[in-house]
Amino acid sequence: MDPLDGFGSPGREEAAADSRSAWTRFSSWLECVCVVTFDLELGQAIELVYPQDVKLTEKEKTSICYLSFPDSYSGCLGDTQFTFRLRQSVGRQSFRDDIYNRDAPATLQRETAHFFGYVYFRQVKDVSVKRGYFQKSLLLVSRLPYTHLFHSVLQIIAPEFFEKLEPFLEAVCNEIDQWPNPSPGQTLNLPIVGVVLQVRIPSKADKPGGSPVRQITNESPLPAPTLLPTIHELDLFKCFQSVLIHLQMLWELTLLGEPLVVMAPSPTVCSETILALVSSISPLKFCCDFRPYFTIHDSEFREYTTRTQAPPNVVLGVTNPFFIKTFQNWPHIVRLGEIKMAGDLPKQVKVKKLSKLKTLDTKPGIYTAYKTFLHKDKILIKRLLKGIQRKRPSEAQSAILRRHLLELTQSFIIPLERYMASLMPLQRSVTAWKTPPQVRPFSQDEFISTLDHTGPQLTSMLRGDWMGLYRKFFRSLNFEGWYRQRHREMTQKLESLHLETICDADLLGWTKDKSEVEIVDLILKLREKLIKARRQQLQVKDGVLDKLDAFINSIVGSLPEDLQPVLNAR
Amino acid sequence: MALRELKVCLLGDTGVGKSSIVCRFVEDSFDPNINPTIGASFMTKTVQYQNEMHKFLIWDTAGQERFRALAPMYYRGSAAAIIVYDITKEDSFQTLKNWVKELRQHGPPNIVVAIAGNKCDLLDSREVPEKDAKDYADSIHAIFVETSAKNAININEVFVEISKRIPVADSAAATSGKSFKLGRQVSESRRTCC
Repeated sequence: MDPLDGFGSPGREEAAADSRSAWTRFSSWLECVCVVTFDLELGQAIELVYPQDVKLTEKEKTSICYLSFPDSYSGCLGDTQFTFRLRQSVGRQSFRDDIYNRDAPATLQRETAHFFGYVYFRQVKDVSVKRGYFQKSLLLVSRLPYTHLFHSVLQIIAPEFFEKLEPFLEAVCNEIDQWPNPSPGQTLNLPIVGVVLQVRIPSKADKPGGSPVRQITNESPLPAPTLLPTIHELDLFKCFQSVLIHLQMLWELTLLGEPLVVMAPSPTVCSETILALVSSISPLKFCCDFRPYFTIHDSEFREYTTRTQAPPNVVLGVTNPFFIKTFQNWPHIVRLGEIKMAGDLPKQVKVKKLSKLKTLDTKPGIYTAYKTFLHKDKILIKRLLKGIQRKRPSEAQSAILRRHLLELTQSFIIPLERYMASLMPLQRSVTAWKTPPQVRPFSQDEFISTLDHTGPQLTSMLRGDWMGLYRKFFRSLNFEGWYRQRHREMTQKLESLHLETICDADLLGWTKDKSEVEIVDLILKLREKLIKARRQQLQVKDGVLDKLDAFINSIVGSLPEDLQPVLNAR
Repeated sequence: MALRELKVCLLGDTGVGKSSIVCRFVEDSFDPNINPTIGASFMTKTVQYQNEMHKFLIWDTAGQERFRALAPMYYRGSAAAIIVYDITKEDSFQTLKNWVKELRQHGPPNIVVAIAGNKCDLLDSREVPEKDAKDYADSIHAIFVETSAKNAININEVFVEISKRIPVADSAAATSGKSFKLGRQVSESRRTCC
């Protein structure tokens, strides 16, 4: 009766048959699960890794060890959760799943050169241990930016793990290996040690700002056992509460990919703040490096803190006060303190001169000389502050914030999207007998000239120097990333159209009066196109690729017999 | 028609046929060379019972000793537990009694217990007399059936019997009675607003 009945998901058996030992399903979610402990002789060391045959380089292992413990300065007693991101070692094979990345929103694509580490750290007094403390981290290593999902999973499994140890981890990994693949647009049931998490994987086709959670109701009329409303969204309000009045500045700095350091009292606060910043420009993908939790042991520490070059375009979250000295030449530093309340309101930090950044006990504030291009939205800030006084729940405050940031980013990118779309050649210029036309080049000046009529003023009330913001944005990695993605999509679209046109053309007729050389040339070209189309998972009309295959075969068949084996052998 | 989700866990010694029973029930298939379960497998099957749909959320646990300590996570919040033994192995029947004790002490208070004596196709090697098992089951008010996952004997019946013993849900409480976090929160908040 229920289409979702059966094993974890349909197709489980094929997956089991093709490689039970290769952890196929597991690895579509996680790279591995690690346990890092403090060893008196070795320091931080990996105690356990699952699956046991996972390949981590020594460098990756070292980074994982250091990043999964809070800096000794932040005395986190009890349980602490935070997130880090590390660079994969060079030469690691990239994950082959273009379909997921094709259908997922850009901000949720699988990482190709980095891993996320989702950490659950426990530190409690324990007289039975020589050091006097039990200190251990359980962490999930993944290429997926599903912060909320993985931290929810950790909340379920970590406390049990610390009591039940290894067999428990083995069980957990085997259950994750039964999870259906993360398919964009689908609602999935994820069983994990006795509970079922229901999640929806967002899709590129979702309406931005819509509420996709509601779409699932016809499939399961009852509330799911444990419904996670999101796999990736953070409590933005919690993250930004002491910097609300500087939201516009933080959004611009993120949009422009400016070098930025967030110093916070704990790895939880710094990692959540960095992730919140990166997500604040969604649906734009943040294309610079970002490290929600960065330590002096990080393998990129030297690279990122060298004084011989300008600071790199990265966003770092740190807890160690030592970094104040290291980052003295950085243009933007956000120093967060413990949340203090001024009456009902969280005390807002002030913008301060960089020269004030000197001592280890530097006060909370935003240390920068940056002046925003756009004016801040005072109405929004008033609304949020009033919300605090009226005790509006944090989720509602976050929803207001998320909506505001989304509208702001949308207002910013819609003119770009519109201009980019105008660079697409006309469909009728795609013909079977010519190579597909190219996307016209992006001209910044031409784009700027469209702003008078179709600029962001159509959708945003915010005043200021939008043009200046665009000009600066053009020099950022975020623009480059966005442009490359769009350009690739458009080129692939042209390629699909071209294939479809070829498919409708009279190829056999064309070959009638052509020489063998020309025909062989055609066959080779067509084959190359087909291979490329299949490799890129091009979206073409049903049957187009098969029809072209059939074309090629019949043309080959029409050639002299001595030529056929040569062509077929390829 | 109302849909009720019922969490069911399978417990019992290693090799008694827990996974085979589930496989027969869910997919109507049998594999003599099935691998030992690690941790637990999760499967669902929805069946109609009177005017309700019962969606069984089945947690098929590992019988191996090293996973013993994990069992509470699977029977926590279960509406029913199927404890399986092998009629050709006296030991597995003793293990079953330990599971019953554990459930009585730590399991959900109103959990429906079903005892399944599996491999009843292997009559020649029987070690546990049917009557002994039946008497024991009656003494603890448990459902009792002898089953064969291999020959598809009494497999659906176990689940039908479980459906029968699940307390009838009045519509307001349809989502309660389950120990899942969200379910409970929903029902509690309803109570306060009425």
